[in-house]
Formats: sequence, structure tokens, C-alpha cells
Amino acid sequence: MTLAGAPRAARPARRTPHELTFTLEEALVEQFAAEEPEWLAADRRAALERFRALPIETNPLYTTYVDLRTTDLAEVTAWPEPAGAAPSGGAAALPEGAAGVAELVEDEVAAVALDDATRDAGVVLDTIGGLIRRDPALATRLLADARSLPIDDKLAQMTRAGWNQGVVLHVPAGVRLERPIVIRWEAGEPGRALLTRTILDLGEGAAAAVVEEHEPSSAANDRTGRQALFSGTLEVHLGAGADLSIASIQDLATGTVAFQHRQAEIGEGASLRWALAQLGGRLVRSRVDNRLAGDRSTVEQVEIVFGADDQLFDLTSYTRHIGRDTTGNLLSKAALLDATRSYMKGLIVIEPTAVGTDSFLGEFGMNLSKQARAVAIPSLEIDQPDCRRAAHSSSVGPIDETQLFYLESRGIDPAEARKFIVLGFLEPVVARVPLESARDQLRELLEAKWDVADRAGGAAASAA
Amino acid sequence: MTATRDLVADKREQFAFHDDIVYLAETKRGLTRETVEEISRFKNEPEWMLKYRLRSFDHFLKRPMPTWTDGLDRIDFDKIVYYRKPSEREERSWDDVPDQIKATFERLGIPEAERKFLAGVGAQYDSEVVYHSVKEELSKLGVVFMGTDQALVEYPEIFQKHFGTVVPAEDNKFSALNGAVWSGGSFVYVPKGVEVPLPLQAYFRINGENTGQFERTLIVVDEGAKVSYVEGCTAPIYATDSLHVAVVEVVALPGSKVRYTTIQNWSNDVYNLVTKRAHAYENATVEWIDANTGSRKTVKYPSIYLRGENSTADIISVAVAGKGQHQDTGAKAIHLAPNTRSRIVSKSVSKDGGRATYRGHLKVSPGATNVVASVRCDALMLDDISRSDTYPYIDIQEDDTTMTHEATVGKVSADQVFYLMSRGLTENEATNLIVQGFLEVFTKELPMEYAIEFNRLVKLEMEGSLG
Repeated sequence: MTLAGAPRAARPARRTPHELTFTLEEALVEQFAAEEPEWLAADRRAALERFRALPIETNPLYTTYVDLRTTDLAEVTAWPEPAGAAPSGGAAALPEGAAGVAELVEDEVAAVALDDATRDAGVVLDTIGGLIRRDPALATRLLADARSLPIDDKLAQMTRAGWNQGVVLHVPAGVRLERPIVIRWEAGEPGRALLTRTILDLGEGAAAAVVEEHEPSSAANDRTGRQALFSGTLEVHLGAGADLSIASIQDLATGTVAFQHRQAEIGEGASLRWALAQLGGRLVRSRVDNRLAGDRSTVEQVEIVFGADDQLFDLTSYTRHIGRDTTGNLLSKAALLDATRSYMKGLIVIEPTAVGTDSFLGEFGMNLSKQARAVAIPSLEIDQPDCRRAAHSSSVGPIDETQLFYLESRGIDPAEARKFIVLGFLEPVVARVPLESARDQLRELLEAKWDVADRAGGAAASAA
Repeated sequence: MTATRDLVADKREQFAFHDDIVYLAETKRGLTRETVEEISRFKNEPEWMLKYRLRSFDHFLKRPMPTWTDGLDRIDFDKIVYYRKPSEREERSWDDVPDQIKATFERLGIPEAERKFLAGVGAQYDSEVVYHSVKEELSKLGVVFMGTDQALVEYPEIFQKHFGTVVPAEDNKFSALNGAVWSGGSFVYVPKGVEVPLPLQAYFRINGENTGQFERTLIVVDEGAKVSYVEGCTAPIYATDSLHVAVVEVVALPGSKVRYTTIQNWSNDVYNLVTKRAHAYENATVEWIDANTGSRKTVKYPSIYLRGENSTADIISVAVAGKGQHQDTGAKAIHLAPNTRSRIVSKSVSKDGGRATYRGHLKVSPGATNVVASVRCDALMLDDISRSDTYPYIDIQEDDTTMTHEATVGKVSADQVFYLMSRGLTENEATNLIVQGFLEVFTKELPMEYAIEFNRLVKLEMEGSLG
């Protein structure tokens, strides 16, 4: 209570945890739409409408675990121009062991290249703009399917409405790639929002591996600077019998806020493997939707979080079993330093049609500091009891003293032993990265992050 | 095994009887500020209680209906009678209880139960405790076991000190509703160091169409004391929706041990929305043993706040959801102090289109070091028109917590049924036996009579579907 008329210093308005400070201008969406085919313009407008109507979290299970207060996106604006075409002439250098690369830096396309054999097999790796020109029918099928992203997710619809960058990988039926495709995003320009769509489409019996890298651009800020936003999708379509491995390494700068939406429609007998590593970002809000629509389809998802400072990782995964005899195997692990928070929310839904389901969800946390906070909400909604397995399991615990004792007894010093145990805890994702160079890079990133925390006297000391 | 099979031949309807009672005082249908004032006036309450009721009423109006569970919007609060008094005064001895009410109790088997070994009887007939006796030895020990309304008059100090401290009116919409219109319930006080040798038990019944029952139970167990409280419910079946909104508060002071056992078997038209919570202080142990087989919809998560160092929480929650039922049940353990332990075991069975939902919360707050916690949820689905959900919330804010959680959902194994049938059981008996085995973690914790009664209830449920 204040006295009437008493002068009072202006205080910034208190924000609710659900407030998205970012504004996506209708004028910008219209500006993009004006240059595009009518079906794509309509898709953007429909998405914009949904974005405006939806609350930040539609699932009442999770409304208490939304916290956008560490984001500051009021002054952040989307890139105003659609990305250009890939630079022509001169084949871009492929990373060693890769069959193709798409490299995108902020709102520019740095390189898009496939090796000859892969291109000759009919594989398409292109920007969305390039695909619309090259193959309008395929572009329409992949881009205008409203169900390729969760229809009730505000941020997914925001990205769908306002994207200015995009990549498509199309692998025709029967083509099986031996070597992975690398898709590298560099983002983090302060004051800018990069909104992107990435689409992976595998025809019947096709096989591929994709390494997705989210890295800071040269302009990116650390957590004390002005923020940037990187909101990207990964829309996966797997035809019957297709096989896809996706490894993602997210090491954005700590001044970058990341929203990620990954959704996979998995066809009959198809199989999908996710290996997702989350290291960077100020706040990461990620959602993965696996739709096991085809009979005997399978998904394996392994996700790790390694957080420091006051990062917040808000991760949700939905696994929906629809076909018969489908298999889902999901594992999330978080090692949390300093005042990191990790919200691991997983929901397995077994629909009445999904006879013979085998579904497992594991969520495991390791709090390495007294300020760290691990939240696990592993949920099940089951309408069909005739399943091989429907279970989840979760644990949160400190570094296992027995393991520590064992390592020390072998002459390893305590600090080193802790490091081994934490990195070993996160190893399941590292081992699943299909490209050696990327695997090594991820190991180095994890190790470097531990060492920084260790030097700062954080992790190793406070856990002792 | 044979004994189990031969236990009962009766049917659910036998629990569903009601007598025509002349109600001496009751409020009009619907809830207004005047209703709340009227209730307080009927009861001749002190001013502070009237204020509490009105504060609760305001909050009830203000608070939106929860949307995280469905179907609550079907409750028509205007159709409910919020207070009705079955007889003028509280009865001291069995002989004084009106015959009609006595007949009801006799069908529930209370006098025999008392003759056998039970310590006291608090039976709630609609909204007032009409009969209450505490055996002499307990009185000598200083144990207080009486209706909550009476306790407000006779033990104003202990009452006011603890009432509303564990479950504040503002906790949720339904605790606010209870705060506004509460009536009846049990009050237990166990003095320092006293171990109550026998379980205290209270029967609750709803009688009267659209009667809301809003009992309020307060159990205060002083330092080093020990008590076990048992609550069982049956209710007559009516066509329109009935409402049961209770609040149970347990204060387990340092070094005490409290066990609270519930068998909830409301008839299938009752909305059962209950807030049950205990505060456990240093070295105290609180156990909730909670089973839900009845009601149309139950929303209940017995909670233990581990406030004192070295306290222990143990919760066993069982639910059986049949046709038209939704059991939205679970448990919460909130660790607020170092060296605290909790264990949650939940078992649910869903069948005939019923829905069983486990919702739980395990929280380790900053400062609660060296916590050990476990959560185990198992669900059994007997057919493919039923549904089972599991929503555990685990929120850990300390680095030396050891927490494990496991959940499984499955169906009755055809192999097990086949095996039992090859031993001469019918399919129904075999399934019944498997379900009883699945729930045994709960039944083995019950006093013997209750274990029998619970198995009987499960069997009745099973007969409804399979017979």
C-alpha cells in the first residue's frame, strides 16, 4: 500500500513465467508471403493465427513447469529478408566422411553440397527456396502438411509462420546412404531472431544419417550480452521400411535462446534413432514428437543435457504409439552444474489401436551442485493394455560413491575420477553420433565444459 | 485361498441402503454467504470460526475450477445441501442413539466391531457425529477422540492452534469449500509419549440425496506418541451426483508415529474430492494407507510434508476403477528437511472402461540434504476399453538426493489365468485372485477385518464385470 500521490520510482513490470516477450510482426509474415506461392503463403497465415491464439503451454500437465523469465526478447526482431540461394560455382568442401553438407550462417546460406555419387542417386539437399523452384510438387507435399508440426504448440506455429531459412533433405525410395549428411546452423546475432524449418524426407526403404550442429556464429553474445533467438524445426517423414539416424549437437552461445520442435511421422516398419546433445543456450525449450503410425515402426531417442551457470533446459517429448507392434525406447539424462535447471517431461501415449506396443521412457538426473534443480515428469497414458511393455523409470542422484571409490583405488585422482563418471554418464549420446569428427567434437565440448566449471571451483568442488 | 473364495456372496447393493430420516435442521440447496453464516449459527460457533468460514468462502468463489483433471465442471454446486443435522445432540452411549440410525450402523457391523477390539467408534451420519465412544482406558491415557465440532467446544486451545495449519483454506478450491461449510469429522489428540494400543476407527456415511459431506478431520499426535486411525466409507446409491469434499490434517510432532488408513467405497455417483495432508516433525513417521474403490470420481493425493530432520513418510495408494469411474489418485512427499526418507507405492486396477490415474509429486527442497526417496507405480488393466495414466512429478533441488522411480502398466497374464484354471478355478476366480495378489502390498498393511472387507469389495467389483 502506498500513499496516494506519493512519487514512486518506476520499476520494470514483473513478468509471468509464461510471457513470451518476442513479437512476430504480421507485416513481416505478409512480406514473406507476398513472394511465395499461394499455398505456402496460406500455410504461414494459418500458422500465424494459431500462434496468436495459443497459450505458451497447452498441456495442463506442464503449465507449472514453464519459465521464460530468463529470456529477454522484447528487442529481438526476426531477420527481415528470406535467405538467398546457395553460392554457386565451386563445390564446397565436404567434412571428412560426410556425403553432403548444408551450412547456414544466420540469414545466409554458406554452402549446400552433395558428393557426386549421392547426387546421382537422386538425393536432394537444398534450401526450401531451391526446392520450390526445383520440385514444386515435392515442396508442396513437405511444406504444406499442417500435421508435420504440433498444431497446438505456440512456438512451433510461430516458427512455421515466420521462418526465413530452411533446408530440405530428400532421399528417394530404396536409396541407402552410407555416409552422413551434415546440417550446420550458426546463429546468435544479438537482437536477431533466426526462424528456420528443416525437413527430412525418406522414401520407402531409404536409409540415411544426419548430423545436425547448432553453433554460435561469430557475432554471438555470452549470457551477459544482448540476447538472440534461434527457433528451428526438424520435420521428419519416414516411408515404409526407411531408416534414419539423427545426431544433434547444440552448443549455442549462452546469450542465445533456443526453441526447437522436432516431429517425426514414422511409417510401417521404419526406424528412427535420435541422439540429442544439449549443451548451450541461455534457455532451451525443446519438444520432440514421435508418431509411431506404421505397424512395427520403432524409435530410439537418447538425449543428454550438460548445463552450467543458470541455464534452463525445458525438454518435452511425446511418443505416440498408433500402429501395431511398435517400439519406443527413450532415455534422457541430465548432468547439472551450478544453478542449472532441467525440466525433463516425457509422455508416452498408447492409443487403442496400438496392440503389442513396447514402450520405455527413462529420465535420469545428476545434480552436481546444491543450486542445481532436476525435474522429471515421465508420464504414461495407456488405452491399450495388450502391450509387450509399458514402463518408465527415473532417478536422480549424486555421483555414485562406489564408482568414485573404485576409480580412486585404481590410482585416479578424485577430480579426474569425477570427470570420468560425469562424462561416462553422458556417453550414450556421444557413442551414437554417426560421424567420427562430430563425435570427437562433442567429446571435446563436454570435456571443456567440465574443465571450465572445475576451474571455477563449481562442479567438482561443491560435489565433494 | 478357499477362505477368500467363500468370503462373500453379497452384492454391492447391500451396502446401498438409506433410511428415511427426519432432518431437524438443514440449509437450503446451494451455497451463499448466508448459508455459511447459517451453518456457523446452527453450530453456535466462536467468532474466529465464522471468520474462517467466510474467508474460505470468498476464496472458494475466487478460485477457478481446476482444469488439470476433467469432469469437475459437471458438479452443480447449486444442487447440494451443504448442512443437515441428523439429530439434536451428540450421543454418548449406544442406547441413546435413535433406532433408525442405529439400524444403519448395525448393518455396517459397528457394534460387533466395537465388541471385538476396537478402541472407539466415531460414526458420521450425514454431517454430524451422532455416536462416539472412547473406551475408558483411552480416556485415562488422556487420548481425545471425538467429533470435530465437539472438539472445537471442548478443546479450543489445541483446536485453534492446529486447525487449518496443515491445509490452509487457500490451498485449493476444494479445501476452501470445506473451510466454508465443514461439519463433522473426527478429532484425535494423543498426548506426549502415549501409545494408543488399538486402532481408532470412524465410519462415514452419506445419507440423503444430494447431501454434501464436508467433514473435517484433525489429528494431533504429540511428541513420542503413537496412533493408528482407520476410516472406511460406504454410501447409498442415488441417481444424481453427490459431493464429498473432506479435509484431513495430521500433525505428527517430534518422535511420533501416525498411521492413517482409508478404505474409500463411496457409491458410484459421488464426487470425492479430498485434501489429505500431514506434517511430520523431527524423527516422526507418517504412514498413509489409502484405497479407493468407489465414487464416480475421486481426486485425492495423500501428502506428507517432511518438515523435521530425520522424519519418514510411507504412502501406499491403491485404486480400483470400474465402469464409469475415474480414480485420480496418488501421493505427494515434500522433503523440507535433511535426512528425510519417503516411499510411495501405488497400485491401480482399471476395468470395464474405468480410468485409473496416478498423479504424484516428489519434491526435495533446497536444504533438504541426504534425502532418500522412492516411487513405485504399477497399473493393471483388465480390458482394452479401460485407461491407465501415470503422471509423476519429480523435482529435486539438492545434489545428494537418492531418488528412484519405476512405473509399469500391464494386463493380467493369460499364462497365470490358464495355470490357475488348470487347478480348478473359474476364469473369474483366477482373475480375482491375481488382482488380489497384485493389491496385496496394500491388504497386508490393513487390520485383519479391513483386509477381509477390502478383499470383499474387490471381489464385488470383479463380479460386477466378469460374473
